[in-house]
Amino acid sequence: MIPLLGRGLILLALLVATVGTVVGFATGGRPSAEGSAWTRRLAFTFAGLMAAANAVMLYALLAHDFSVSYVAQVGSRSVPTWVSLVSLWSSLEGSILFWGLVLGAYIAAATWANRNSHPEYMPYATAVWLACASFFSFLLAGPAQPFNTVFPVPLDGPGPNPLLQNHVLMAIHPPFLYSGYVGMTIPFGLACAALFTGRLGHGFIRPLRTWLLVPWVFLTCAIVLGGWWAYEVLGWGGYWAWDPVENASLLPWLTATAAVHSAVLMERKGILKGWTVTLVAASFLLTILGTFMTRSGVFNSVHSFTQSAIGPTILGFLAAALIFSVALLATRVDTLAPEGRLEGATSRDGMFLLNNLLFVLLTFTVLVGTVFPLVVEAVRGVRMSVGRPYFDAMAVPIGAALLFLMGVGPALPWGRATPEQTRRVLLPPLGGAALAAAVGLLAGARSPWTVMTLAFGGYTAWVTLSEIALPLRQRMRAHNEGPLAAFVEANLRRGRRRFGAYVVHSGATLVIVAIAVSSTMGISKEFTLRTGESAGIGAYTLTFLRTEARDEPHRQSLVALVAVRRGGKDIGTMAPRMNQYERQREPVGTPDVRTFPLEDLYLSILNLDADGGTLSLHALVNPMVGWIWGATALMAFGGIVALIPRREGSVALAGAAATVVVGAAAPR
Amino acid sequence: MNRTVLGAGLALALPLLVVLFANLGRDPHAVESPLIGHAAPAFSLSPVDGGPAVSLASLRGRPVVLNFWATWCIPCIEEHAALASAAGRAGNDAQFLGIVYEDEAAQVQRFLQERGKAYPSLLDGDGKTAISYGVYGVPESYFIDAEGTIVAKFVGPLDPSTLEAHLALARGQKP
Repeated sequence: MIPLLGRGLILLALLVATVGTVVGFATGGRPSAEGSAWTRRLAFTFAGLMAAANAVMLYALLAHDFSVSYVAQVGSRSVPTWVSLVSLWSSLEGSILFWGLVLGAYIAAATWANRNSHPEYMPYATAVWLACASFFSFLLAGPAQPFNTVFPVPLDGPGPNPLLQNHVLMAIHPPFLYSGYVGMTIPFGLACAALFTGRLGHGFIRPLRTWLLVPWVFLTCAIVLGGWWAYEVLGWGGYWAWDPVENASLLPWLTATAAVHSAVLMERKGILKGWTVTLVAASFLLTILGTFMTRSGVFNSVHSFTQSAIGPTILGFLAAALIFSVALLATRVDTLAPEGRLEGATSRDGMFLLNNLLFVLLTFTVLVGTVFPLVVEAVRGVRMSVGRPYFDAMAVPIGAALLFLMGVGPALPWGRATPEQTRRVLLPPLGGAALAAAVGLLAGARSPWTVMTLAFGGYTAWVTLSEIALPLRQRMRAHNEGPLAAFVEANLRRGRRRFGAYVVHSGATLVIVAIAVSSTMGISKEFTLRTGESAGIGAYTLTFLRTEARDEPHRQSLVALVAVRRGGKDIGTMAPRMNQYERQREPVGTPDVRTFPLEDLYLSILNLDADGGTLSLHALVNPMVGWIWGATALMAFGGIVALIPRREGSVALAGAAATVVVGAAAPR
Repeated sequence: MNRTVLGAGLALALPLLVVLFANLGRDPHAVESPLIGHAAPAFSLSPVDGGPAVSLASLRGRPVVLNFWATWCIPCIEEHAALASAAGRAGNDAQFLGIVYEDEAAQVQRFLQERGKAYPSLLDGDGKTAISYGVYGVPESYFIDAEGTIVAKFVGPLDPSTLEAHLALARGQKP
């Protein structure tokens, strides 16, 4: 009964999405109010059907209905309820079903938000969204059908992959990742609509930017949550390994970040329209590539789903989307004529361009490193992997340059700057650079890259903080307000977008600095301790107290209790553990992490002998890792602030519009 | 038509698609087993439905297909039909053996009654045989030639053509 209902809902969703695609494109070509209304209705219906299909699956998971193939595959009576809920996206078919839910929600939200605006673009945009929706419905109806009937009905199932049951972050990371990945469909549809209509007017940049920023915020969080999960669960002490699947989530983030920046230039100067649209399309295509990478089984990764039959289908969709995008861009990009031009290279505009080039270069670097093993295997039949050294050699200099640019760009004025102006704005932040580098050297930084990153970080922090303070100071002077009132008025009520952007920059600066420090200034040691023995790492003394066995319904754990002292002071007991899940042969370790303001103490069990008397322990002191999580929250907060809609007719908007009008009217 | 955009787009897209396509079907999980080319670890295990123990040594002279499986494993259920029919076709030319991985004898018996039993399934009570073969998860299949040497290993559900190809290897035929 449940399998039948689920299959029915999916087939209906496929039908509705396909019809919606056709109606949308037809209405785009021959605009009519009725066509637009029908396109919207079909979009909402698709969203509703996907929500219903997901609700049915959730019910089956919670009710342990093992006649549903997906439940038989990932469900288990012995797991806690939250694990059953999370199982919705823990395995391949369910994750595609969940993808459908998120896509439906995005389509419905974007359709609703623009129901009364942009009638010339929206049918095309909705048609492109629903075309993607048709593909994912097709996947669910065929190759990745989660609602197959199992007979005879098993009494119990194996439960999801133990690594996914090991930490509550696994409940959070995938929804963020899907919201980031799937969300890129929306700006892609809008960009296609601009190409189809041959227009990208000033009014349409706003929805494009908004719907680019929404998935960008999710993707930013998702990438870091993934790193956090790896750090808290996998037990090797790091958070990023340039694993293909990690790269898969980074690639669209890089192009989307570039697009967010080029969109600013497009809005201000009326230039880079074709380029921005290309970046938006690339971000979408890279999410599909990422989906292929995680789900085809072609890439070997700790994060990927096991190999499956849907690889060829996703590759087919990727090929279709790529060729569609290239053809659409090639035939239509010349219709998006620039309305202005770039003035000086030493200006904020010039730095935006450089930023874009660096982001694209980094995207290529990561893409090549990720795909290269496949080329080698296809050509020479040798298995190889591109390791950390390659990625670090490329990403570290580009990352450092981007960090510096994040300071230089906002310091420079728009348009054109005289050498005198340039000196005046670029020299003072060197104070911040010197300060940060000095602090780093005192704290023991010796790697030249780390010291340089700290200096660039100090430079950028100086610029960013002065840019945040600037409108505040002006307001305090002009209106004679106190700092708090001026802050609320200038940064939170009026210049939200600008303020949000600088908050994102502050977070990004901290993230880059924390990555540089944590990856070069940590300590890592391995000990073998018998009960009662101690060992030292950094300022910490670790004493192995005893082993405890803990039983939970879905797993049994051996917990090693380790007393931690710092500078002679007792600071508590840490408990890294080995978990033995039902029906899984290999035990899975869970590290224990204690976070202090400046560093983490990270303990992970390498081996615990059967009687629990001897412990092999991997201990790390990881400086500033905790800052990465906090700074990412700051980035997300900044993104959200920048997203809050502006009141109509506010000063900032009029100013921006005026710039474009002047730019457009300027003689070429 | 902007030829630069078209050229650049195709120059990027086509090689990428070709590489991805060329790698489809490659299985990164089929990590070369260190056992391939070596003598298969010996075992002597009792069939799930009783009777005398079956030892690998007693099967010398015929290729052996060793399939580690469990009733709770969906891919194992998927491949069951392919294995059963291949075993039927092979007759006495090759010996198919199931080795039950972390499962209850009663459940296995019920499963085989419902789905058909074409060859013996052996109980690996303490999991020693699975460990000696380096089984990581089920289903995993090992193809052993007439001299008792492991010639191939396959991870995941077998379909009829993959099964035939691997069995041909065990028979000493070139693929």
